[in-house]
Amino acid sequence: MPATDVAAKIRGALDDIKAADLDDPRLMEVLSLAENLVDSMKLFFGSLDNSIHSEFLHIGQYIARTRDEIAALRPNDIRESRLPTAGAELEAVVNDTETATETIMTLAEDIMALTPDNLENYKAQVDAKMMGMIEACSFQDITGQRVSKVVSTLTHIEERVARFSSVMGVLDAEEEVSDEKEQWRQDNLLNGPQIDGPATGQNAIDALFDGDISDEQLGQDAIDNMFD
Amino acid sequence: MAVDMAMPILVVDDYKTMIRIIRNLLKQLGFDNVDEAADGEEAYQKMQSGAGFGLVISDWNMEPMTGYELLKQVRGDEKLKGTPFIMITAESKTENVIAAKRAGVNNYIVKPFNAATLKMKIASVIGDF
Repeated sequence: MPATDVAAKIRGALDDIKAADLDDPRLMEVLSLAENLVDSMKLFFGSLDNSIHSEFLHIGQYIARTRDEIAALRPNDIRESRLPTAGAELEAVVNDTETATETIMTLAEDIMALTPDNLENYKAQVDAKMMGMIEACSFQDITGQRVSKVVSTLTHIEERVARFSSVMGVLDAEEEVSDEKEQWRQDNLLNGPQIDGPATGQNAIDALFDGDISDEQLGQDAIDNMFD
Repeated sequence: MAVDMAMPILVVDDYKTMIRIIRNLLKQLGFDNVDEAADGEEAYQKMQSGAGFGLVISDWNMEPMTGYELLKQVRGDEKLKGTPFIMITAESKTENVIAAKRAGVNNYIVKPFNAATLKMKIASVIGDF
């Protein structure tokens, strides 16, 4: 029952008692005390309502602001348009580079199979196939543009997420291994190619297999070799 | 003992272009009897079929079975454990090299590599040719 209803009921009961015209002074004292109690409880519940109202108002405003910030991320645009496009571009890069590589290798194999019985003829054939290789190398222009588009998408996402994180004051949670596939990747040490070339040079690896160093030493010696 | 240039070699990589590159290099070195597999699982099946591969040259990063898993499986197989095994991979972190060595790989080549390196590593494993 709401607090205001309780107060109203008590006031109603008091009014009924007063109207009964009783002469006992002790009863009148009790009635007066009860009236004061009701008045003070009305004050208390009134302030409580204001406090709760203020809290809910604050929470409502925070939720509205969060929703606005999430909308500013444009998550549907990212999910439905930008990411699928980026994925398609990268797939196209793989296909383009595979095609170019196959072309170049075929031409190289053709050259290696030529028999130089007639020098002029041989040179003409080699020149033609070399030109084919040079033409095939144009894949780099296309793939470069595709990769630039993907980088642009990633930068866009990064900026949006950074802004959201900053405005909302978000702190990172503990990293978890999300699924079985990720665990498999970790168990198999799938680090992939490094950005600036191999992390461990062939010389350092050779030293390990030639027995010049133990595997515990590999880390430091690999670094030392870079400065030799 | 002289190297048997006709011995069957198994090349394992999920990129067809890389298999083609290695085939060409092996051909230049005098090895024509080359089979291929696109991942560790296919490779292991071929090895179990009794093909008697004298050398396995494998990439690391493949699915559903990596070259690392293939190596461990081969070294754990009573009939296949002595097969010479060279890893050719873009996995270049020290943890990868150490893990492969401890798992029993005979040699390790980081990509990109050249024909001279491949020849040197094959010779170090199966003998001069």
